[in-house]
Amino acid sequence: MKRTTLLLSLLLAASLLVLVACAAPAAPAAPAAPAEAPTEAPAATEAPAPAGPSGTLVRAISTFPNSLDVPQTAERQASTTAWQMFDSLVWFDDDGTIVPSLAESWEVSEDGTEYIFHLRKDVKFHNGEPFNADSVVFSWQRAAQGNFEYSTHWQRADSVEKIDDYTVRITTPEPDALFLSIMADNWAMIPPGYFNEVGQEGFEAHPVGTGAFKFVEWVKGDHITMEANPDYWRGAPKLEKVIFRPIPESATRVAAVQTGEVDIATRLSAEEAATLEGLEHVQVISYPLTRIFYVAFNNLTTGVGQPTEDKRVRIAMNLAVDMDAIIDAIFDGHAKAANGMVASGELGYDGAPPFGYDPERAKELLAEAGYPDGFDMGMACPAGAYTHFEEVCEAIAGYLGDVGINIDLQIMESGQYWDLEAQKQLPPLFGDSWSSAVGEAYPRLIGSLGGMDFTYSAWYDENIAAMLEKIKVTVDQQKRAELYRELQAYMREDPPFIYLYEPVTFEAVNTRVKGYRPRSAETYFLFNVSVEE
Amino acid sequence: MHRYFLSRVLQSVLLLLGVVVLVFFMVRITGDPASLMMPRNATPEQIEAFREAMGFNRPLIVQFWDFFTHALVGDFGNSLHFKSPALPLVIERLPATLELATAAMLMAILIGVPLGLLGGFSPGSVLDSLARLVGLLGQSIPNFWLALIMILVFAVRLGWFPSFGRDEWKSVVLPAFALGLATMGQIVRLTRSSTLEIRSEDFIRTAHSKGLLPRTIYTKHVLRNVAIPLVSIIGVQFGYMLGGSIYIEFIFAWPGIGQLLEQAIGWRDFPMVQAIAVFTSVAVLALNLLTDAAYMIIDPRIRYGIRE
Repeated sequence: MKRTTLLLSLLLAASLLVLVACAAPAAPAAPAAPAEAPTEAPAATEAPAPAGPSGTLVRAISTFPNSLDVPQTAERQASTTAWQMFDSLVWFDDDGTIVPSLAESWEVSEDGTEYIFHLRKDVKFHNGEPFNADSVVFSWQRAAQGNFEYSTHWQRADSVEKIDDYTVRITTPEPDALFLSIMADNWAMIPPGYFNEVGQEGFEAHPVGTGAFKFVEWVKGDHITMEANPDYWRGAPKLEKVIFRPIPESATRVAAVQTGEVDIATRLSAEEAATLEGLEHVQVISYPLTRIFYVAFNNLTTGVGQPTEDKRVRIAMNLAVDMDAIIDAIFDGHAKAANGMVASGELGYDGAPPFGYDPERAKELLAEAGYPDGFDMGMACPAGAYTHFEEVCEAIAGYLGDVGINIDLQIMESGQYWDLEAQKQLPPLFGDSWSSAVGEAYPRLIGSLGGMDFTYSAWYDENIAAMLEKIKVTVDQQKRAELYRELQAYMREDPPFIYLYEPVTFEAVNTRVKGYRPRSAETYFLFNVSVEE
Repeated sequence: MHRYFLSRVLQSVLLLLGVVVLVFFMVRITGDPASLMMPRNATPEQIEAFREAMGFNRPLIVQFWDFFTHALVGDFGNSLHFKSPALPLVIERLPATLELATAAMLMAILIGVPLGLLGGFSPGSVLDSLARLVGLLGQSIPNFWLALIMILVFAVRLGWFPSFGRDEWKSVVLPAFALGLATMGQIVRLTRSSTLEIRSEDFIRTAHSKGLLPRTIYTKHVLRNVAIPLVSIIGVQFGYMLGGSIYIEFIFAWPGIGQLLEQAIGWRDFPMVQAIAVFTSVAVLALNLLTDAAYMIIDPRIRYGIRE
């Protein structure tokens, strides 16, 4: 009798558990009760005037910013958060074109090494300090001399001089085509008076810029709060308050956007985005990241003397991999097959079709190159570093096996993997990815193709090096775009990589949020964003 | 008594030294922080310069001595990621972790002890089945899974609790339950089995025959004897909770030490990992010592060093 009671209660508990477990994944599809309830009470009580900033936006980010001082931010989400409080002299518009910001206009000298910037005269920092030429000189001195994450971005300028209160001259040691892009990406202007008063530590504890939002508080690991800067030089922002919440676990970000606790949840996978479909108050948006996945060949160390030195073999290997099938099977179609190392949306992207899948042609090329029966080769990929990348690598190894290339695939812990990559000790084939935040492919190209001079490069081709050198010193955008196109064509004839895909990222946005338009490289600007009450 | 306690203190100090050595060398097995800290298109020269500046190019034993002598006075160096002293950053997160661990432990005790006692007093009853069930589930449900399921059920579907963060008193309920369930299970099992055991002891029978009220028997005679193993479990588990709630803090975005550790490992922030490991070891060892002290108060046999 007693035994049956125990059994029964155990069974009951087990079935309850199963019920809970089954019910849970279905939860998003059901009309969840809290979803309809109004989300967090907007802090509009202080500013009832319809014209002024109103409402609070909560944005979930996936990492904990290390700093809100732009040159010190260690990764994208820290820097995009910090940028809401700052401005640079120039800025990217929605199309990725460099446009005026704190500088009204600028001129570049004939030889491309000297810039004269004319500054806006109506700008004040959050503490009331006026923005002028001294602020530019000071911001540069501090960041270029500091031992910061991105000091190198500021050291690209040789000198920054004040000509008059609202004019500065900036020189670079040689023509630097990326200079303005890097300025838009990292040169946040800071107030000299305030900085000198509070010092580096004080500035990090309470950053002050000219941006649309002002710093309020930062509870480490919990939240960062900013409020509208009503005197912003572009006009007052529409939001009264912005709160950034680091939520590292993506399943929790999904839950928090479902309950309405956050308005925007970033960095979701396709599967997670799919669970949000059908929810009335959540809109899922996706966009390609300016990142390219590839399998690199090596002609510097481990790949010397290997069949992959023959470009026919490398073309064959590109043709042997059915990228579309991989994208469909592993990413549910949510990625874009890469046609080279320039991402769509970057300067000079030529939009040519990718290699495509042609195993017959691949076998012919292998036979032409003298490997009718294929060959054996080692390949490595990092574990846990990128979404589903292990599966992608396994699929590639399978496809290469189909044309006779037997791959010995090693999936390694990512830390160890990157150490070996830096030492150029990985097998002659290795998978990785590379992003670029400056609107063009140059950093990715030089970093991965710079030969022995670059830590993570395993390839050197003098033609590519010569073209990259030209791109580096050609300041004219049109000409540079042309050079990129030339390089892309060359890199399809003689590919240093198996080109894989450009990943797509998903964000979930509450439908009460209006005017939110994230760009590739995950930059966004909250100035024009509003929330409906 | 003093000798017993002193020897325990000495053991703890030795253990701590062991931890310091282990932590230092183990984090270095994971690889070189330079490769994560520097921009990807850094040149080999720039990376070398970084190693030089950070002192990572010195012989390991020199680095260890440097770390060790500074650690003795509480200086764990600057966090590589946050660029400021590591230990204050850890201590800054202590209140959140302490709050979570305390809430979890309170839940475990307040539910676990009564349930275990009731189960132990009436073996085979419905309450006993419940006690055994909690014991079983507590030990077998992985807490990260439970955490995600609880978010889906209690935050998303029912809307009773927030799904993440540390904003209001309600915030702590889900993470504390997820963190505390395993300990609750252990407490239930232990209380139940000790009660069962003690119930059949001669002195309880004597107490009954003396005509003592059952309530008096439970509180005076049974509970006091059950308390000894309980105290040791609570002490040890609380120590683990302080350092080991990494998953729970990660899933619930709880701004505590575990979450910081998860991040520090990802960034190969050696000074931070070292500071957290040493800090939590000190906490665990101190709690163990406190547990020993508590034994001595509860059980006079231990106090006087009498062995059975």
